[in-house]
Amino acid sequence: MTAQVELDPVIHAAARLRVTTTLAALGTGDRISFPRLQKLLEMTAGNLSTHLRKLQDAGYVEVTKTHQGRTPATYVALSRRGRRAYEDYVTSLRALLSAPAPLAPLAPLATKENG
Amino acid sequence: MTHGSDAAAAPDLEAHLTPEQTLTPEQTLALIDSQRARVDAELDVDPRRLYAAWGAAWLVGFGGLYATSVDEPLVDVSRGAALGAHFVLLVAAMAYTAVHVSRATRGVRGVSATTGAMYGWSWMLGFASLPVIITAVERVGAPEPVLDLLWTTLPGLLVGVLYMMAGALWQDWSGFALGVWILVSTGLGALAGLPGIYLVMSLAGGGGFLLAAGAFALLRARHARQSAQAARAP
Repeated sequence: MTAQVELDPVIHAAARLRVTTTLAALGTGDRISFPRLQKLLEMTAGNLSTHLRKLQDAGYVEVTKTHQGRTPATYVALSRRGRRAYEDYVTSLRALLSAPAPLAPLAPLATKENG
Repeated sequence: MTHGSDAAAAPDLEAHLTPEQTLTPEQTLALIDSQRARVDAELDVDPRRLYAAWGAAWLVGFGGLYATSVDEPLVDVSRGAALGAHFVLLVAAMAYTAVHVSRATRGVRGVSATTGAMYGWSWMLGFASLPVIITAVERVGAPEPVLDLLWTTLPGLLVGVLYMMAGALWQDWSGFALGVWILVSTGLGALAGLPGIYLVMSLAGGGGFLLAAGAFALLRARHARQSAQAARAP
């Protein structure tokens, strides 16, 4: 078994890390409305959409479009794969932090991406 | 998991990122923790608020019933007024709970929403069935003291069991323990009879809720202090 500590580049961006952290806080099988997610993240709708698309492309996030009465509603959830990727990311990060030996410098985390 | 290949893995990451600003691993973990704390604070139902609302309602409502039901009333208020106040306080606590829970869970769907809705309906239908049962008991000729006892013990039974159920559903030992406490208070109150039961429900029941709210507030404050200390640590 190869043990490798590497940080998933899809998650390893400040905005997407906050998105996945928020979605991972929901119970398995739960989904959250786009406006509520936006409020929890304090991101613009366009910015959040961009990051969600990247996560969706990686298969980490599932977006459901539905209707509440006549108004369309969008719901977002972490996929099973996304939840596993997020858990692996956090595990790797903690492993990096608790490693006793001096480490090679960690790749910097991009805090600004796509405006 | 071993960390043997950290040095080999880390340089690969740089290829993916061209940052304007950089965060250390510690800061990355802090970012996760702060976002998680924010989500928990906004999405979780706050037991402090709910226990405090129910504790105040029971302490005052049952306290009023006791004060007007003893042989020499402790306050110059009619028993009808005390009953009315008790009812209004319970409805207010219920409304507060409904508003708080619906605010916290707004926009969330799926398994937990279904669980929460079923649990909410257990409360609603459980309490809606009380007047039906008690009216039926009245119609077969039960005297007033029996009805008074039912009006106090049946809600106590429901609340106790529903809190225990909440403990089971959400793996919440404090809620389960509070349910047991309410059941025990109701049972002891029933043995004490009228009007002693009102005093037991007020002090042990309402007081129990308020103590639970206080204990939660202390725990949260201590947890917040520890988190702040951990964040400051190098």
